Amino acid sequence: MINWTSWLDYGFMRNALFAVLIITPLFALLGTMIVNKKMAYFSDALGHSALTGIAVGVVCGMQDTTASMVIFAVVFALLLNKISSRNTASTDTIISVFSSCSVALGLAILSAGGNFSKYSSILVGDILSITTQEIIYLIVIFAFTILFWIFGFNYLNAISIHRTVAKSKQIPVKFMDNLFAVLVALIVMLSIKWVGILIINALLILPAASSRNISTNMREYHLFSLIFSVFSGVVGLVVSYYTNVATGPMIVIIASGIYFATYLYGRK
Amino acid sequence: MKNKYVFVLIMLLAILVVSIGFTNIYVSHNQQTEDEEFVVLTSFYPMYIATMNVVGDTEGVTLKNLSEPQTGCLHDFQLTPADMKLLSTADVFVVNGGGIESFMEEIAMQYPELAIIEASEGIEFLCEDDSHGHEHVLHEDDEHLHEEEIDADGEYVDEAHNHDVNAHAWMSVELHRKQVENISNVLAEIDPKNRESYLANAGVYDGKLEAIQVEQEKVQLLTQGAATIMFHCAFDYVAMDYGLDVAFCMDLDEERQVSAGEVAEVLEVVEHEDVKYIFAEELYGASMCEMVQKEVDVKVIYLDPLNRGDYEMDSYLKGMHRNLELIQSAFAN
Repeated sequence: MINWTSWLDYGFMRNALFAVLIITPLFALLGTMIVNKKMAYFSDALGHSALTGIAVGVVCGMQDTTASMVIFAVVFALLLNKISSRNTASTDTIISVFSSCSVALGLAILSAGGNFSKYSSILVGDILSITTQEIIYLIVIFAFTILFWIFGFNYLNAISIHRTVAKSKQIPVKFMDNLFAVLVALIVMLSIKWVGILIINALLILPAASSRNISTNMREYHLFSLIFSVFSGVVGLVVSYYTNVATGPMIVIIASGIYFATYLYGRK
Repeated sequence: MKNKYVFVLIMLLAILVVSIGFTNIYVSHNQQTEDEEFVVLTSFYPMYIATMNVVGDTEGVTLKNLSEPQTGCLHDFQLTPADMKLLSTADVFVVNGGGIESFMEEIAMQYPELAIIEASEGIEFLCEDDSHGHEHVLHEDDEHLHEEEIDADGEYVDEAHNHDVNAHAWMSVELHRKQVENISNVLAEIDPKNRESYLANAGVYDGKLEAIQVEQEKVQLLTQGAATIMFHCAFDYVAMDYGLDVAFCMDLDEERQVSAGEVAEVLEVVEHEDVKYIFAEELYGASMCEMVQKEVDVKVIYLDPLNRGDYEMDSYLKGMHRNLELIQSAFAN
């Protein structure tokens, strides 16, 4: 029989648990709006731009590439918003152009000299190495997000339902769009080190998508998204501890399981 | 309306039960009796085999390896929760050193009281120098001096970047003997109770390694001075043992894409330096070697870098012997 509390004896597991308890509700909140605004592809492209952000930092000789990542992602998000609002081609085409361009740039710079393996940890992420100070950063951004949610959610929701009507109601549509994009960029960049490029979007989208399958109003939508997100985060962490599987993928596997279950239920 | 909440509750409970169930099965499957033993942990395959031979059947000592059997070199290794758990139960951690264990800093910070044996202590590593292929011997202690070297214009030369340490020292039998000696000596110091046993086992193993070294010296008569290209920097140490001249080294060990310019560079070196032999690892180098072989007439020798394999006492000896035979038969005709 296993001792089901033994994992709490280790400092790194306690830190990882804290991080999961902060990251997952954060992602659940953002995810609901990303899914509503059909921005899943946008956040995916943002995740991939992290590579370029690091590359820019390396080229500029920065010690801490987090800063260059954040700056690059914010610029990237604003530029994307700007160009896609011009409406020359469909949004997903533009995002795809941006995303492939920045990934290629990042790979080209980082793989110079065959050194790419140094950065490959960012693809999968490593939640176990999170330190107390980094958790404090996350708490700050969590508080910031909640504030934004309290004051901005109704506006965002109105925009996602009908832009023109929202505009006529004196809602600063462009400003809110940009603000939201910057917020997503910030959170994606600050958490990518622990979650990983390949998995971050799954964590943003899956809980909200599952919740959308079964909920009938905004309150339920948020509630279920939160429950699914935190549940898969904690269970995934604990299971990965006992079975020796990487933590991020385990969380996503559980979140996917929830998605398919709710999908089947919602179809009835 | 109520149904939905019941459904969510049931679904989450079901997932919880299933994952607890599977985890239970998995863990009980893998459970070993863990006593209050002296636990020696090794970082990866070559260190495990070496330490295995030093520990032998010493009583009260458990030997464990960190990474999964097939990880190979640790260049892009991620510590899993189970690894962290192993580290926190270990008494001694045997590492190769030279930067292969890229997570060492993290570990030293998290487990300050863990005794660490660096097997390559006192060994002069070669450096990786992709662009020229000339080998410089770099002493570990000189590293920081190199980094601060200033060139004629008064600008900093980024030596550390151009001259990465090549830490695959286990590929040289001569250096590996030193590694085994280091491991046994420090282990005997840390665990004096089993001192005799460690030193005796190490002595026996050293004899076997020496036998291979003697054979290598015989083959060296054939191979001395031949120009070669290496597609794995670990083979620079093989070149050292056999007196080969490395005209060019390109590391195909990692998940990297070879650019067209690099292929052209290889072909150029083959022609200029009259290279007849290419050493590669079959897993990563085969496609590149075929490409080169189509263009020019060279012999490709696929060696085993001995960074993964089965967990037998004589795995290293067998692997080295296979490599020796491959080199011998390639050079004989």
